[in-house]
Amino acid sequence: MNKTSLFEEHTKLNAKMVPFAGWEMPIQYTSVKDEVLAVRKKVGVFDVSHMGEFFVTGPDTYKFINYLVTNDIESPEMKKAVYSPMCRNNGTVIDDLIVYKLEEERAMICVNAANIDKDWNAIKEHKDKFNVKLENKSDSYSLLAVQGPNTVEALSGIGFSSEILDLPYYSCLETEDMILARTGYTGEDGFEIFANHSKTKDIWSKLIEAGVAPCGLAARDTLRIEVCYPLYGNEIHDEVTPLDAALKWTVKFKKGDFVGKKVLMDYRPKFRLVKLVLDKGIPRTGYEVVNSNQEVIGTVTSGTMSVTLEKGIALAHVDVSNFPEDDIFFVRIRNKDYNCTRQTKAFLTGSHK
Amino acid sequence: MSTNIPAELKYTSDHEWGKIEDNILTVGITDFAQSSLGDIVFVELPDVGTTVDKGGAFGVVESIKSVSDLYSPVTGEIIEKNDELESSPELCNSDAYGSWMIKIKISNPGELEELMDSGKYAEFCQTSH
Repeated sequence: MNKTSLFEEHTKLNAKMVPFAGWEMPIQYTSVKDEVLAVRKKVGVFDVSHMGEFFVTGPDTYKFINYLVTNDIESPEMKKAVYSPMCRNNGTVIDDLIVYKLEEERAMICVNAANIDKDWNAIKEHKDKFNVKLENKSDSYSLLAVQGPNTVEALSGIGFSSEILDLPYYSCLETEDMILARTGYTGEDGFEIFANHSKTKDIWSKLIEAGVAPCGLAARDTLRIEVCYPLYGNEIHDEVTPLDAALKWTVKFKKGDFVGKKVLMDYRPKFRLVKLVLDKGIPRTGYEVVNSNQEVIGTVTSGTMSVTLEKGIALAHVDVSNFPEDDIFFVRIRNKDYNCTRQTKAFLTGSHK
Repeated sequence: MSTNIPAELKYTSDHEWGKIEDNILTVGITDFAQSSLGDIVFVELPDVGTTVDKGGAFGVVESIKSVSDLYSPVTGEIIEKNDELESSPELCNSDAYGSWMIKIKISNPGELEELMDSGKYAEFCQTSH
C-alpha cells in the first residue's frame, strides 16, 4: 500500500485511514460534518497526493493533448486549466483530468490515482504521431487542495505572494518550487498546490498550525456531490461516454479530430444524469431509481446526506428510453420507495470565482 | 479510544446495549458504536407489534457516509419504539445511553445469559479495533 508524504502527519492528527486506489488515505479526522462545514464556511486542507501528474513537452504539446481529450485545449490562453474527459475510440471514458497550460511547449495533466497506469498506456499509444516528450512524475509530486471562502486569507497568512493569490479561477502559475492552480473539487474558492514532498509537508504543517481544518476523503466526496461534480468510477466509467453523464459541454466537435470523435458524433446517449433531492431517507450508490409505476428506470451513481442542505441527495443515471414523462422519481431504499424532487441546477453553488 | 460503558447495562458484540426490566429489554447503541459511526443522520426503527429474532436486523442507523444494520439482542415483540430518534438522530451521538431505540417483550429469557456485562464488553471493545 502506498503512503503519501503526509502519512505521519495524518497519524499525528488521529485520522481514520482507509485503503483507496492503492493508497492509505485519510477518510476523516474529526467528523465528516465538521470538515464539510469548515470548507463551506471557512477553509480546509486535503492531502490528495495520490493523484497522478504527467508532463507533456515539445512543439506539439497542445496539438497532442487536444487529440487525446474531448475538450478544447488549444483555444484557451496560456496559464489556463482545462477540465476534460479522455475517451477511447468507441467513445467510452478512460478518465477525467485537468490540463494545466504551464508554457507554450509544456503542460501538466493531473489524473485520478486509480487510473494512472491505464491513462499512461492510453496516452503513450498516440505519442508517436506527435513531436512530444512524456514524463510520469506522479511519484515526485505531492498535492494539497486548500478549499473554502477563507483560502486567500489562510495562504496569505503563511506567506503566499499576491501574484499567486490574485490568480483567476481555473488558472495556474509555476514558481521555483510549486505549481499552483485555482482549482478544486468542492465548489468553493481554493487552490491546488503541486510541490515536492518536503515543500508539501512544510505548507501542510504551517496551515494546520494556523488553524486550517484537515479534511478527509469522506468530506471531499460529500462536498463534490453537493455541487454535482462527477467522480470517475461513479458518474463516468469504462462503460459510458461523456454524453451519458451530462458532460456534453466538455466534448468539442468543432475543434478538429480527437480520439472517440467519430463515435461520439452519432452517439445516442443511453443515460441521462439527474439530480435528486429526497424529502426523507438517504440515497446510496447502487440504489434503484423507480418511476410512479414502481418500475426500475435507473441507478444512483452517487448519494449522500448533504451536510449543507440536511437532506439526502443523489446523482443518478436514468435510462433515456424509460425517462418518465411526468418527471416523477423515487429512490428505492430497503424496498421502500422514497419521494424525490428532480433539480436542474446543482444542489448548491460554492464561493468559487 | 476511551469509551463510556455503564456498569448497570448488558451488551452485545454488535455494540448494542440492553437494559433488563422484568420481561422487557430496552435496546440502544453504545458509546463505542456512536463514536465509530460518526455523525448519525438517520435512524430507521421497526413498527410496534413486529416480532424480531435474536441476531436478526430490526432497523438501520446511517451516518453521512455509511449504512449499518441494527441487530436484535433477543427474540421477542417490539412493544415500543423511540420516535424522537427519527426526527433527531443526532441524539444517538450526544447521549448514546439515553437514546433508547426499541423495547422488546422477551420471548426466551434464556437468551439474556448470552449478553456481556460491562467488564466483558470493555474487554471486547479493546480487541475489536
